[in-house]
Amino acid sequence: MRWVYSLSPELEEGWDVLGGKAHGLVVLRRLGLPVPPGFVIGTEAGRAFLRHGRLPDGLDDELAAAVAELEATTHRTLGGPERPLAVSVRSGGSVSMPGMMTTILNLGLTAEATAGLAAEAGDPRFARDSRQRLLASFAASTGGEPIPNDAIGQLRLAVAAVFSSWDTPRAATYRELNGIPHDLGTAVTVQAMVFGNRDDHSGAGVAFSRNPNTGRRVPFGEVLFGRQGDDVVSGGSLTRPLHDLADREPAVWAGLLEALRRVEEHHRDACYLEFTFEAGQLWLLQARPGRFAGAAAVRVAVDLADEGVIGRHEALLRISPRHLQLVRVPRIVAVDEADVLARGLGAVPGVAVGRVATTADRAVRMATDGPVILVRPVTSPQDLPGLAAAAGVVTARGGPASHAAVVARAMGKPAVVGAAGLAVDAAGASVRAGGRAIPEGTAIAIDGTGGEVVMGAPRVAMTAADPHLQRLLDWADEVAGGGTGRGDTERLGAAHAVLRPGASIP
Amino acid sequence: MTRPGPAHATGADLLALHTLRCIGFASLDRVAAASGLPEAEVESELIDLAVAGLVTRVAGEFGGWGLTEAGRAADAEWIAGELERAGTRAVVAEAYDGFLALNPELLDLCAAWQIRSVDGVASANDHADPAYDARVLDRLTDLDWRVEVACGGLFAAMLRFRRYRARLGDALARARSGALEYVTESTASYHAVWFQLHEDLLATLGIPR
Repeated sequence: MRWVYSLSPELEEGWDVLGGKAHGLVVLRRLGLPVPPGFVIGTEAGRAFLRHGRLPDGLDDELAAAVAELEATTHRTLGGPERPLAVSVRSGGSVSMPGMMTTILNLGLTAEATAGLAAEAGDPRFARDSRQRLLASFAASTGGEPIPNDAIGQLRLAVAAVFSSWDTPRAATYRELNGIPHDLGTAVTVQAMVFGNRDDHSGAGVAFSRNPNTGRRVPFGEVLFGRQGDDVVSGGSLTRPLHDLADREPAVWAGLLEALRRVEEHHRDACYLEFTFEAGQLWLLQARPGRFAGAAAVRVAVDLADEGVIGRHEALLRISPRHLQLVRVPRIVAVDEADVLARGLGAVPGVAVGRVATTADRAVRMATDGPVILVRPVTSPQDLPGLAAAAGVVTARGGPASHAAVVARAMGKPAVVGAAGLAVDAAGASVRAGGRAIPEGTAIAIDGTGGEVVMGAPRVAMTAADPHLQRLLDWADEVAGGGTGRGDTERLGAAHAVLRPGASIP
Repeated sequence: MTRPGPAHATGADLLALHTLRCIGFASLDRVAAASGLPEAEVESELIDLAVAGLVTRVAGEFGGWGLTEAGRAADAEWIAGELERAGTRAVVAEAYDGFLALNPELLDLCAAWQIRSVDGVASANDHADPAYDARVLDRLTDLDWRVEVACGGLFAAMLRFRRYRARLGDALARARSGALEYVTESTASYHAVWFQLHEDLLATLGIPR
């Protein structure tokens, strides 16, 4: 039995064996795009591990052979004292389970290899930082088991840690809730590390080929200079807009635009990339379709039809009637960029306008005189009365599963979370954003779809006036025959019934 | 879970003050429910604490009791003193580690309870699909068992923490018997009690949030 596969353009194994992540990397290689060399331990080995509680027979030999091949390709030695090879070890099943599974970076940085990397880069700080990340990710995933100082021992431990992370209770809960079978298991992708933390011309980021909030055909994303990729998605660091790359690293920017173009052409849809650049060289680490929702999904489908990439019928079929429900949400329109205080993550759709309150107590008191927006670094149960009294909430930290998001959702209040550009000074009863101090009582507005926090009371419109939606619905009427007085969902549903007879209409 | 010696009992004055510290500004009946003390006793304690300048009462529709800055400082000092006298720092720290391991999963479950992804579109869970709700509640029940494993030592050692065990169990039982607001929405919901427990563990160990 064969457990390990080299990541090459010719690799023919499917999604079920390689997992979604590795399959995406094979596609990138076929498109001629830069992907760090590596290999995949397939899901068969993952399932064998789950059955027997240990790595399957024969895997050790195959791992050794795969590492030797990778060493030959990179002219480096895993854990070696000179020109050391470090690798990333990532999970990736046939179904995506974001954030549930273990990842180990910088593996192979034994004490000797770290010294070798420091000498090679002429930068001991960079080498120490990288080793520290390895120790931290091992500690988080193996629960204090001693870390072997030999590189192959580290690799075996890391592979076992990734395989067993399939069975954590949290992952089991995720599968239960999302109807994913428990016996699929995961694959493990091992790739040569590329170091976003290497020097001033290094960094990492994420990129969409189109704006995921609006669907507009402009590359969108964020980038962190001098850092590794996990810092971008962890939400703990202040990222820069993707376009900053154009000035600071023009070659990386050009490479990224070309990659977005090719991947979008391959999927015939908006796409998402994770990338790292090391010493000015671009590397792609993950690719997938964009999976937009609401108005953004509608705009992308209509634009792709206009661009001749897909037909109008396919555009209609790509939009679920459920997307239309999301399209009809109030949005802030036509804001002067100077009035935008911060951007965060839209956590609960809708627009709220009110006066800034920086503590729950003051929100409660101020709410007797009119609507209030509660602005907090994060929220806790202490803030519940303030959340109850406020028209909307903004937090500087936290993601869609944060306390503020969960509570605001329960109360049906617009919420923006992770607005990292905001600093809340509760003692001084003010908020700082973009170099400005905004005292408590100042009128602001928030858009829980796009994540904008803006000054004053901007113009708000139901997005139903969206010209892209009107065009899509016109196409639907051409397919199914027009009819006045029908709702958006009925018009699209009628077109689906003609284009896909037998499919159920929700 | 057993442990040598009787469980540590917190005095009514500190219990009233610390309950307010953990649940935030609240009405009298909520302070009573969270502390497990009768309303009349809590009110008497709160009035004494107000005289000492540690809590204040706000009248009106959104009124209730809240901590003053002095009350917050006094609570931090007294609760740290209690921890040292009772010799329970290690057992609280162990429970906190166990709690943190479960916390992301509880947040996943709350998000899944409120938002459901269909056709790649996240929309509010309208609770029209009993099978889906039952899946969430089954996983919440499973998690509730693991809270007992992770924090059982603490529940055995300190009475005021045992109150969370009862309140979490009560919220889960109500949700399972059809009172769906007891998962995330009510002020006595599983989510609300969970976050008060989180706040209490942080406050007791003196860890800033």
